[in-house]
Amino acid sequence: MFDIQQFKLINKYALRDFTRSYKKLWVVTSTLFVSLLLLSLTFSVKEALNSEIENNSKKLLGGDIQVTSGIDPLPEKIIDEFDDLGKVSTAIEFATMLSKEGESPVFTELRAVDDNYPLYGNIETIPQIASERIFVNSQKPSVLINESIQKLLKLSFGDDVVIMGQQFEVAGLVSSVPDLAESAVFGEFAIISMESYEQFGLNSGGSFLDHQYRIKFKNSTQVEAKEKLVRSIVEYDDSIEIRLPGESGQSLSRIIDNFSNFLNLVSVSAMVIAGVGISNTLLSFVNQSNTSIAVKKSIGFSSSFIQTMYFYEIMMILVLTSVVAYFIGVFSPLLANELLPEALGIDLQPTFSFIGYLNIFFIGLLVVLIFSIPSLYSISEIKAAALFRNTFNPVSLNFSLMNIILLSILVVILTTYFVYQTEQKLYTVLYFVAFFVTMLIFYGVSKLLILFIKAFYKFSNNSYRIAYRNIVAKKSLAPIMTISLGIGLTLLLTLSFVANNLKKEISDSIPSMAPDLFFVSIDRDMQRDLESFIKDVDPNVELEFSPMASASFISLNGTPIEEVVSESNRSAWVVRGDRRISWSEKPKPDNPIIEGEWWEPGIEDELFISMDSRAAYDLGMKINDKIVLNILGRDVTGIVKNFREVDYRDISINFAIIINKAFANKLPYEYVGTLKSELPSSEILARIVEKFPNVSAIKIDRILSQVSEVLNKVFIAVTAISLIVIIIGLIVIVSAVLVQTTFRRYNNLIYKILGVDFPTILKAMTMEFAVIYGTLIFFALSVATISSFLVVENALQLSWQFDLGLTLWILLSTAVVSFVLILMANRSIFSPKVYPLIRNE
Amino acid sequence: MSAAIQFNNVSLNYGTKTDTVEVLKSISFSIDSEEVVSIVGPSGSGKTSIIMLASGLETASKGSVKINNQEIVGLKENELSEVRRKNIGIVFQSFYLIPNLTAVENVLLSLEANQQYNLEKDAEELLGEFGLSHRLHHLPSELSGGEQQRVAIARALINKPKIILADEPTGNLDSANSEIMIDLLFDYTKKSQTSLVMVTHDNSIAKRCDRIIEIRDGQIV
Ligand SMILES: Nc1ncnc2c1ncn2[C@@H]1O[C@H](COP(=O)(O)OP(=O)(O)OP(=O)(O)O)[C@@H](O)[C@H]1O
Ligand SMILES: [Mg+2]
Repeated sequence: MFDIQQFKLINKYALRDFTRSYKKLWVVTSTLFVSLLLLSLTFSVKEALNSEIENNSKKLLGGDIQVTSGIDPLPEKIIDEFDDLGKVSTAIEFATMLSKEGESPVFTELRAVDDNYPLYGNIETIPQIASERIFVNSQKPSVLINESIQKLLKLSFGDDVVIMGQQFEVAGLVSSVPDLAESAVFGEFAIISMESYEQFGLNSGGSFLDHQYRIKFKNSTQVEAKEKLVRSIVEYDDSIEIRLPGESGQSLSRIIDNFSNFLNLVSVSAMVIAGVGISNTLLSFVNQSNTSIAVKKSIGFSSSFIQTMYFYEIMMILVLTSVVAYFIGVFSPLLANELLPEALGIDLQPTFSFIGYLNIFFIGLLVVLIFSIPSLYSISEIKAAALFRNTFNPVSLNFSLMNIILLSILVVILTTYFVYQTEQKLYTVLYFVAFFVTMLIFYGVSKLLILFIKAFYKFSNNSYRIAYRNIVAKKSLAPIMTISLGIGLTLLLTLSFVANNLKKEISDSIPSMAPDLFFVSIDRDMQRDLESFIKDVDPNVELEFSPMASASFISLNGTPIEEVVSESNRSAWVVRGDRRISWSEKPKPDNPIIEGEWWEPGIEDELFISMDSRAAYDLGMKINDKIVLNILGRDVTGIVKNFREVDYRDISINFAIIINKAFANKLPYEYVGTLKSELPSSEILARIVEKFPNVSAIKIDRILSQVSEVLNKVFIAVTAISLIVIIIGLIVIVSAVLVQTTFRRYNNLIYKILGVDFPTILKAMTMEFAVIYGTLIFFALSVATISSFLVVENALQLSWQFDLGLTLWILLSTAVVSFVLILMANRSIFSPKVYPLIRNE
Repeated sequence: MSAAIQFNNVSLNYGTKTDTVEVLKSISFSIDSEEVVSIVGPSGSGKTSIIMLASGLETASKGSVKINNQEIVGLKENELSEVRRKNIGIVFQSFYLIPNLTAVENVLLSLEANQQYNLEKDAEELLGEFGLSHRLHHLPSELSGGEQQRVAIARALINKPKIILADEPTGNLDSANSEIMIDLLFDYTKKSQTSLVMVTHDNSIAKRCDRIIEIRDGQIV
């Protein structure tokens, strides 16, 4: 039944109407644009990051394939076999101390590389040639350090640093390496040549040592066959790990996905608030155009034609704003490049894709449909007969049964579309449910407020009376303000509460009980000397050493562990890769046993296992389950004896897996330890490293400051994003104010004529705002408290705390900004020129 | 001659919360095609109500209303729109031009409602006949009351409707302008063999019509 002529007519009318009355639709245009832009920004950055990771997967891995053999190097024979396949680059990664005379040593991730490194991409250094200098054989070897070390030790080029008792000259700064090194981005990272590593016997022998072999195949044919070959070459040892290019960016992709998913949800929230504004604007637009609509009806146009015409007009705005928003958004990766740490070595490219545009358009379409249907269907309630009587009753949102069903379907489609796109389906659904429930709550609140005030109406004061009239009036600001500002405020409060709790957790609760230093891989022969040395330095020191060995999880009750535990399992880390285990004959006092019993001491030929209770729960373990662990290349079957409650937050030494000491006595091991002292930790550390160059120790406050640095950035980002939501909310409110100024002006004018003075009117407006905002605060705070409590206690497993200062700050600043905006939007009321306007009413 | 409008025992009641108001009490009349009829009566007697019923913008509580022999009581909104589009032109007391459309565009609206496109020439010509050739592209706010009403009449006539319904078309005009307006309406209806039903308070205008229907308290006298 499509009529091309009819369509042309609709197109013509819509264009004409839009070009002549676009001013009335600025709210629709601006809010739609801002929220689409937000959506487009997040989509584009995510897309660019993912494609960067995908396109550079070989660079990120550093080769076509990576083989990791852990503490022990691969035998020569195997490396020779690799050589036949292509170019091989060997690297060793380990943690050690890097020190400079007069400064506290820093815990550093050191990478020793051969001159084939890197196989893909480049090491970016300052100066440019520094990357070659480390391979130059000279009396004094050189080292490349990252910016963080340079800052901590106040180093300049040519300075001397000491690594494991050996002097190195600083050749330059590494700004980025192709294969992502986390410590290069967030911590301390240095590169030396493999030659110096071997020549000076830097090997500490600790279990934090990692041998990596990367291969670049001779040619790019039959890659899969070559991968298979490599697999078969190292098949003899279970503990050797193989990684392919696709897998290199996985953890990064997951972080990006989670963060961008969160951003998308916030963007949709922004869109929905924009939707509230669109709905309100369209309704007042319809009411303002009621005579035109009635005339068209009297001439013989049907309601559906007129609805289609306006709808088409909104679609034009949607297409226009979404195209512009998409094109601006596409360039956002360039901005992201500026904000991302340089050491990541990521260079995002703007990419256009029609699918990407459609994605944004589709979401915009759904939101616009949901919010314009009730407004535009009100057109059918405009009666042309009113033209004979010269009176028009304002129409209101049309919530017929048909519309409610239609809206529900659209909401379900919107939710499903989002859930379908994300990895975290449950959280997304929960978010949407919480969001729409919050919206309903605020809608209810506005209705209740009006009912409540009506019931208690007994005001004698003029200001109160005017405020009362304004709130209960048909075109009251209350509903639109409670919904749009309410949701924005709730979102801002919730996000700040969550972020603030995280920050608090890191910054104040931990350091009080946390140790100062954390020793990594202490040789068992050295442990005694180290202990007595430290006790000489500080007799009151609190020292704790635990033995430690490496093991990996093979199976649970006969089933390979990969089949039992999915990647997304919260405790998957416990069974993935190498896990450090410890042993003890007695239960640890700070690890209470919550199920099962501790073992009989002295049984040498049986392996007993004590598990972290949370991991055990997540992995579905029961007491007396049989677990196969690979310890030093040998598979051993053990029995789960008990579950301990482990609190990792206290940063003391904790292990997910503890075994019986009698069994472990046969194993080679090393120690990890903690130190807590009244003396400055940097001083103690400096003296330890001087005496024991092979000891590595992490300063806990450094880690905490790193974490809180990252969290601070997240906090700022989160606040900025939720501010955008508030801004959209404010645009919506201002538009609502503007829509009703004619009505307000008239009222206020009457008051003036009746002799009510300016301060009284101002007081009335303040009262009105205070009442609405006060109600809103109560509910926004309640909802934010509940939702942030749930997130903090359940998803983050922290204890929730309330911050009065932050809350007051947010509430006050939002109140001031909104009120000032409302006054500004209302300014014509205060102007003395108001009297002549009455003739136009 | 066939009947353009036929009312048969038509009643119109408005229900308020407390009671029902009987606005029209079982009235019957018929207006032939090409007939020019005026409706007169005191204020509140039901004149406008008759026009509303005849245009299909109000539905009779009882009885039958036929436009060109088609029963319109009980039709759906879309069907009524069609009847209106094809048969009826309406002129209001308060002109009701669409404020953001020019004179020509307001007139074209009627044609386009009837799927007649690209007839700008016709609209301009008609407005020219009405002495508005110099005001074709002006917005209503830039026109005088008399000019606005002439545009409104052109909008009602451009479709060559078989019936024109006018509710006090001169109510908002001075006598000179009224004169021009009525001449235009009469000339045009005569020329195009259209029937005209016009509510008026002006006796001299009423007398120029073929017939006068007088209403009192919702009944024809
Ligand atoms: N919606 C309504 N509800 C109740 N009564 C109504 C309604 N609309 C009109 N009336 C009543 O119907 C009666 C007839 O109204 P109508 O407009 O037809 O009168 P009229 O003859 O055109 O008067 P005037 O010359 O003043 O225009 C009036 O008494 C009016 O009060
Ligand atoms: Mg009347």
